[in-house]
Amino acid sequence: MTDSHIPRRTLLRYGAYGAGAAALAGTAASWDRLTGADIPGRDDGSLVVATLGSAFDPATVDALTKGFHRLHPDIPLRVNAVQAVDWSDFFAKILTQIAAGTAPDLVYVATEGVQLFAQRLGVALDHWVRRDAAELREYFADVHPSLVESMMYEGNLYQLPMEFNAADIYLNKQVLKRAGAGFPAADWSRDDFTALLRELKRTGGSHFTPYFWTNRLWGGVVPWLFANGTNLLKESKAPGGSWLWDTFYPAADRQGRGGGFRWTTPQATADRVEEAYDYLASLVQEDLCTRPEGGNGSNLVGVFSTGHVGVTPAGGFWAGGLQLAGMRAADYDVQYFPRWRTQRHQFGAAGYALLRTSKKQEAAWEFIKYAARKDTMTRLFQGNQTTPARRSMLNAARYAESGPAHWQVFYDTLDRFPDTGPIPAPPQVAEVTDVLLKYTGTALASPRAVGPALRRMQGDLEQAMEREI
Amino acid sequence: MTNTQVPNSQAPAVRPRPGTPPAVAVRRSVRDRGTRLLAALFLAPTVVGIVVFTVVPIIVSVVLSLFHWNVIDPPRFAGGANYRTTFTDSTVLVSFRNTLLFMVLAVALQLLIALSLALALNGRMPVWLRSLFRSAFFFPLVLSAASISVVMKYLFNQDFGVVNWLIGLVGVAPVPWLTSEHAAMATVVLVYVWQQFGFSFLLFVGGLNNIPKEIHEAAALDGATGLRKHLGITLPLLSPTLLVASVVGIINALQVFEQPYVLTDGGPGDATRTVVMVIYERAFEQLDFGEASAVGVLLFALIMAVTAVQFRLSRRFVHYQ
Repeated sequence: MTDSHIPRRTLLRYGAYGAGAAALAGTAASWDRLTGADIPGRDDGSLVVATLGSAFDPATVDALTKGFHRLHPDIPLRVNAVQAVDWSDFFAKILTQIAAGTAPDLVYVATEGVQLFAQRLGVALDHWVRRDAAELREYFADVHPSLVESMMYEGNLYQLPMEFNAADIYLNKQVLKRAGAGFPAADWSRDDFTALLRELKRTGGSHFTPYFWTNRLWGGVVPWLFANGTNLLKESKAPGGSWLWDTFYPAADRQGRGGGFRWTTPQATADRVEEAYDYLASLVQEDLCTRPEGGNGSNLVGVFSTGHVGVTPAGGFWAGGLQLAGMRAADYDVQYFPRWRTQRHQFGAAGYALLRTSKKQEAAWEFIKYAARKDTMTRLFQGNQTTPARRSMLNAARYAESGPAHWQVFYDTLDRFPDTGPIPAPPQVAEVTDVLLKYTGTALASPRAVGPALRRMQGDLEQAMEREI
Repeated sequence: MTNTQVPNSQAPAVRPRPGTPPAVAVRRSVRDRGTRLLAALFLAPTVVGIVVFTVVPIIVSVVLSLFHWNVIDPPRFAGGANYRTTFTDSTVLVSFRNTLLFMVLAVALQLLIALSLALALNGRMPVWLRSLFRSAFFFPLVLSAASISVVMKYLFNQDFGVVNWLIGLVGVAPVPWLTSEHAAMATVVLVYVWQQFGFSFLLFVGGLNNIPKEIHEAAALDGATGLRKHLGITLPLLSPTLLVASVVGIINALQVFEQPYVLTDGGPGDATRTVVMVIYERAFEQLDFGEASAVGVLLFALIMAVTAVQFRLSRRFVHYQ
């Protein structure tokens, strides 16, 4: 008997498989599943603002959004808090979003990225600032021109500064008391600083480090370069900017202002740079400071608040950080960075950059203005996690609970030392930072390594600055 | 055409040979086709996953390595420029050297510790204690490498770390674990091995359990003891497991990223910078996706070459019976 047919059992089995597969496919096709379109605000015409996730807490973001909605009910707003370790990590994520075609309209950008964004992605705010000059007069009157100048690039203004942090020196008062050392004067010198470290070391014990610093662009070796009257890259100012200075600032404040900073030729082998590295190497050799670790200084709060560290460079952001760590206002204080050849300080600032890919540039400008209002900034910067860019926001009441006693130092750094400027951050900032960190580590990792490390740093910096972004 | 039916139950589970009655052939071919279809259905999710998340990215990386692309502007064809830059970039070359050094140190140490502990636990020991040790050794593997590295960074801090405090109790001076060019790599290797050896350990435990007791008993009757028994019997019979452990270990070690990134950020200088760190820095910090892809392609080629060498050598050293 010929059996050319498939047996019934087999047919049933494969029929069942087929039916099952069809059922699965049908279920999958009709499933009410989540997609990217389900993310609130995605593709709904909202104005999208990307902020560094850790900068603002959810309640603050909520207040920011509601306040803007009251003012502009016709502009839906979505704040996209991007979680990142630091600014370079944040920029990487923003650039990835841009590459993926989901660019935000506005990005919160710090000094590290101001020129990169200005050169490649940003829109100059000049014509809006000119148009709404009357509305902005109060803002500029309250914000130091150095901060504004740091947000300019080749004569144009790209951001309104919202916050900044200068590298001042924090001192643990318990440690000072233990050593019998007095609080340093505002014009203390580098030698005073060294003498203080020796005093602290003498009474500190084996697990105590008088001076702790982190190897990074802000607050690493750069404050010492500034204090010694030099910089990693040759610094000059772009022409232009008078349209802004003449409109908003009195003659005394306009003096020496330009169209933003230019950082060009590397000068890692300059005598003063080598001098600064030699000084830090001598501190390492004397056990007055540790060899610098990379990172963002996250482990520093704990060791400073527990008295394992005497002094460290930090900005206004640390007042809030130390309070959260349980440090009382009376336990620490802040003073200007010590004087060497100069007492020029470094700072980093941040504000909202408007992306040229944005289709809602007018709405974005309205948000920038709203964010720069005093009532908005007061809501944003309730905790002392940063230094507000508005001078009027720094007052005794703000620092009464958290400290420090010399809170005026934060803003006075800009007034007292008018040459105080931003950390060197050309459009090639990422590579420049990598080179700086790498060779700073090498220079201080072993004795007599400074010269060779700086020579190699110079070569790599020259390559980095030649690179097109 | 005549057909002698063979009941299903008696049908040999082999392909029909020429001359096999057609009905049986038809039925088996249907069954074979069904089995193949079913196998394909089960394999489909994995195959799709591999194609979408492995094969396509590899192809895209190779293509991208021939272009200059900074995310912001359209890609520009670069030909072999990215490869030329890579071969003349001292940081890249040092990162390859570091990665190979790391691989040798980490894998050797990992296998040595895992094998020693597996042999030690294979002896007479209460079951509960053996289970406790197994869990303890495997536990670090289920934790996030980044989290472990953050904790280790605190522990190995030169001035405030617990490690230096402990060695200080016996009079040893503080060691710059993470800030000395000589110590940093060793510290990164230690942290990595501490986390990873549990995997090799479990493989060896399984391998040892598969060695028939009779062989050891026979060897004991012949007078073989301790080390002689391990060298003559245990290791040869464990060689397939050793091969798997070393292949997986080497592939993982060549791709190390989290530990050096968190612990030392590649420093001091370039002392602990690995190839994957360079790929990350080139792509996401310096916006040079072309060069990052070129380095990635070279790393892929290196991993393939090392693995091929391992399998070639395994023919000589691995015993399956």
